[in-house]
Amino acid sequence: MKRSGIATASLLGVAGVFLTLWTFPVLWALLTSFKSERDVLAYPPTLIFTPTLGNYRDVLFGATTILPNLISSFVVATFTTVLTMLLAIPAAYALARLNLPGKRAGGFYILATQMLPPVGLIIPYFLFLQKIGWLDSYKGMTLIYLTFSLPFAIWLLVSYFEDIPREMEEAALIDRAGRMRAFLYVVLPQVRGGIAVTVIFVFLNAWNEFLFAVVLGGNNVRQVTVAMFNFISVEQTLWAKLAAAAIVTMAPVILLGLFAQRHIVKGLTVGAVKGGGRR
Amino acid sequence: MTDRDKHTKTEQINHGRRDVLRTAAVLGVGAVAAPYLIRTARAQAADLGAYTSAKINWRQAEGEQITVGVIPAGYFDNLVSLSQEFEALTGIKVRFEKIPPGQVRQKAMLDLSSKTGTYATVATDCMYYPLYAVNKWVEPLDTYLNDTSLTDPSWFQYNDIHKAWRDANTVDGKPYAIPYDGEMTVQVYRKDLYDAKGLKPAETLEQFVENAKALHDPSNRLWGAALRGFAGAGQNMYIYPSIFRSYGGNWMSGDKIQVNSKEATDSLDWYVDTLTKYAPQAVRNWNWPDIADAFAQGTLGAYIDAHSSAAVLNNSEKSKVIGKIGFARWPKGPAGKRVTSIWNWGFPINAALSPKAKQATWMFISWAAAAETQARTSWKFAGPVKRSGLNRLSIWKSPEFGKLLDASGYNFGEASLQSLELDTDVDWRPRVPQWPALGEAMATGIQAALVGQKKSKEALDEAQARIDAIMKG
Repeated sequence: MKRSGIATASLLGVAGVFLTLWTFPVLWALLTSFKSERDVLAYPPTLIFTPTLGNYRDVLFGATTILPNLISSFVVATFTTVLTMLLAIPAAYALARLNLPGKRAGGFYILATQMLPPVGLIIPYFLFLQKIGWLDSYKGMTLIYLTFSLPFAIWLLVSYFEDIPREMEEAALIDRAGRMRAFLYVVLPQVRGGIAVTVIFVFLNAWNEFLFAVVLGGNNVRQVTVAMFNFISVEQTLWAKLAAAAIVTMAPVILLGLFAQRHIVKGLTVGAVKGGGRR
Repeated sequence: MTDRDKHTKTEQINHGRRDVLRTAAVLGVGAVAAPYLIRTARAQAADLGAYTSAKINWRQAEGEQITVGVIPAGYFDNLVSLSQEFEALTGIKVRFEKIPPGQVRQKAMLDLSSKTGTYATVATDCMYYPLYAVNKWVEPLDTYLNDTSLTDPSWFQYNDIHKAWRDANTVDGKPYAIPYDGEMTVQVYRKDLYDAKGLKPAETLEQFVENAKALHDPSNRLWGAALRGFAGAGQNMYIYPSIFRSYGGNWMSGDKIQVNSKEATDSLDWYVDTLTKYAPQAVRNWNWPDIADAFAQGTLGAYIDAHSSAAVLNNSEKSKVIGKIGFARWPKGPAGKRVTSIWNWGFPINAALSPKAKQATWMFISWAAAAETQARTSWKFAGPVKRSGLNRLSIWKSPEFGKLLDASGYNFGEASLQSLELDTDVDWRPRVPQWPALGEAMATGIQAALVGQKKSKEALDEAQARIDAIMKG
């Protein structure tokens, strides 16, 4: 019993160290976002200071507002996520369940597209969008984001679909449900957790993406990751405003994570009770 | 002695806090300026007389629409805010796009090399023109300057633009961009601490080290000196070339780039020793904003960097050293010369544009580089941010601009102007088309020496080997 206590304490200690390492930059950014620029540079760093909401006021409503950029990011990330899921769910199901010709090669191809370094794709994407007149547009940006989010989502979802026992679908088919009904009412609820995880990752990838956003975007579609560079100019770095912008930018993703968390947990529970679907 | 000189001598020593706070406002950085910008644009839009006196038809490209790439910076924000004025003058619609500084070159090169003509012009670093010119990505501008239907020489006064900046934007005798804004490197020091110890700003690199030694007191959080140490073509390779040239170094040996000569090794030794002995350890990873922030917090005795860093030092939101700052020219090296940086943001014309769009772009460039626009974006600007990197000598010598400069600290205007007139060196950095790769190879070698991974000679020999491979293509 005593040994177990020590083991638990050690485990908690190790977990605490990792948690601290992970949370430190976020907490530091949070703290910085309430400081004046002078307090940010103070040495030794001050933990007691007069907090200000001025940085948030500036990044949200001031001359350097990032609100339009947050909207751009939200539109691109939302379109990307919705389209990705609409296409990836049936594609992943087909790859997991149907006996399609070239299924194995297709699966590998989808994975292989993830192996290309994005920087190598910039020039063809730029030329392609320029030719069709979709540079610096929501449709162009969403289309490009689909090229990396779709393979990733399919690849992730296939494993979730493969974990669903075939017997459940077969039972539905015997009851004359038809493949579509079986898919919608039997299979999909089983992979709810997997879908939630995929939505989060796809949204996050689109939300945090910088390279394509800076090269393929412009004045019309200027995402928040690009706009945040306004605070790191050749003249100076406005750390406090940058921190406030970072916290504001994190907020929607955290909310999405909290919302999806419920489904992830439910997905886990459902899988465990049924005994087959692990997720 | 000019009026401005007199003003400098008599008033610069005793800057009151009010003066320097005002300076913080006027030379300060632009993140907070937008409301003023809009008002200013409206206020100045109607007054076009200064432009219409030029004997050209400003409306010859009326109806065109051009996109101009700039970086987020106060000096471009001021120009953007006056764009209504340009549109009223020319009938050309201009659309500015702000691109982060780290990506502006890549984005411009992507557009230029693919000949998509997305940008009519992008604010460009002068080190890139040899590459652009050899690929014919941008237009030679001599034809535009010599065409009297496009340029009224007596009005535009091209030769009034700083010679060093014009030369830096010239390849094989042809100008490829017109400078809009620029900077030079100067010595920045804590005048209060220097005075207390009886020190004078360094005349030589040796004295710079002696001054650093005299002030160095890390236990009380005061380091003697700092220079950019961060690896990069625009970071440590922004400072090292001045040291190298002031040691008498030449980048070219015959028709070959040479970076491992004795002068190169000696100058890198000086750079490494100075930072190792008298700078905070982290300086090896510092770019200029970090150095300016450290100086503004009162932890540095001196540094050498862009004159425009005065804005941060006088920013009342950040700085603890307002009213305690002095400026001087680069110290002389063993070769007896001072070598400041030649940096300017110029506007070239994208060669992939249609003839009409090129005409429209030239109208924009003429307007942006014109003396009147330079003044309107600086001391005449109604907003809080007033540029200090103006392209014209006549303005630098004007009492109005001089007053603006002098408020930044002791000897700021004089040190900057003398640096610009006397210490510039067009061969400050090797001007070859391979500069982007060459600059990175040098920067990596310098950093290896700065962090103590390699001796100077070894680091430079390795850089030489890489550069030889780059030049062979």
